[in-house]
Amino acid sequence: MSGRIAATIEIEDVGGMAGEVNARGGARPMSCLQCAKCSSGCPVASRADLKPHEVVRMVQLDQREAVLASRFIWECTSCQTCSTRCPQQVDPAAMNDVLRAMSRAARKVSAGTAVPAFNDIFLNAVRRRGRIYEMGLMVRFKLRTRRLFEDVGKAPMMLLKGKLPLFGTRIAGRAGRKAMFRRAAQGGGQ
Amino acid sequence: MSYVFFPGCSLDGTAKDFHRSTLAVAAKLGLEMPELKDWICCGSTAAHSTDPLLADALPAKSLANAGGATVAVACASCYSRLKMANHHIAADTAVRARVARVVGSDYDGLTPVRHLLEILCREIGLARIAQSIRRPLAGLKVACYYGCLLTRPPEITNFDDAENPTLMDRLMETAGATPLEWPHKTECCGASYSITDASIVLELSNQILAMAKAAGADCIATACPLCQLNLDMRQKDIEARFGRQYQLPVFYFTQLLGLAMGCPAEELSLGSLVVEPQELLAAKGIGG
Repeated sequence: MSGRIAATIEIEDVGGMAGEVNARGGARPMSCLQCAKCSSGCPVASRADLKPHEVVRMVQLDQREAVLASRFIWECTSCQTCSTRCPQQVDPAAMNDVLRAMSRAARKVSAGTAVPAFNDIFLNAVRRRGRIYEMGLMVRFKLRTRRLFEDVGKAPMMLLKGKLPLFGTRIAGRAGRKAMFRRAAQGGGQ
Repeated sequence: MSYVFFPGCSLDGTAKDFHRSTLAVAAKLGLEMPELKDWICCGSTAAHSTDPLLADALPAKSLANAGGATVAVACASCYSRLKMANHHIAADTAVRARVARVVGSDYDGLTPVRHLLEILCREIGLARIAQSIRRPLAGLKVACYYGCLLTRPPEITNFDDAENPTLMDRLMETAGATPLEWPHKTECCGASYSITDASIVLELSNQILAMAKAAGADCIATACPLCQLNLDMRQKDIEARFGRQYQLPVFYFTQLLGLAMGCPAEELSLGSLVVEPQELLAAKGIGG
């Protein structure tokens, strides 16, 4: 990231997994010096199967299988602490977004994570309604993941507190949004 | 400067109290902020962790409707996504062209986006806010909690110091409260894992509550719907899991500012807070 002094290593165009990750998200994994500052500040490093600096190293070494199947990429909270503090202008948070997409495309998603299901339900709701109606989102997610009784006690309390309206808003232009989502899925080509 | 308001989806649901208190504070200041026409969801984490192009296109579609006004944002996640999309689109003509093909019209990435804290502290200014304070929050020790996405990454949000932001602290000081020095201002609460894996949120939010308590806070002030929900609605679960007793009300900063400006409690939706603040406010002689 700009405005900092970094011993910049211009070897990002290396092919392999590192080259692919850089081309898709500009995360510059080859510039990593393994100082582990990212992992020191990472809120989930202590619980995940990998730490951010390990993921970057594995990307450098083309450890595709292990990275794409890791639990870490689905436990990252996208808090951006790693990318903010990196002295080498590596962007592990952006890299992780690319890795999530690659993991799904390669059908390597770690068992037990509900994040991809949640993301799909979320984006599908945006496509259909234009905005998120939180209660509808929760119900769909719970049905899909069969977690019907988790947090079920929260709903009456939230209704009472005025935190869950009974109906959501729908924004006109559904056909246009569907076309927009379709064009995005095709990479914005003509 | 003219503003249009991008409330974001949460402000019509779980963060209704953030919405109402924002409008109450804006009214006290004579700040006109009509809602942005036909705004749609920013896409949030679901979009950027699925498809980077969609993650830029969704904000672009809303920002193109601003008609030259500055877009005022309350939610930290919306703020981050709108700013990130602007950054990508304005900096890279290839991205701009791809986004234009997806959205169906060209957008230059130049609509200004500001968080309410920036507007209040920098554009309206603390001097003018000080004039509108009727009932200073004397003796109230507040831990100002910024979360992740207002300050990070600083090159894109350009909000405040990334490690020790002070905008909210200065605002609370202007409202007569005592903001505390504490080290967890920008630690992560666990965000949307509240839905997909609550154990992450319980662990991370516990650290934030514990540190606020250790710093001597009476309450926490937040600027993000997800942070507020995690620290407030899950506080009982956290206390049970870790055997702690916090009893820390978690306000939106607009609720505290509104109290100091003399807005009635109903206008600020104080009844929506799960950890009820009435006892604390009565003990400090605030509101009521």
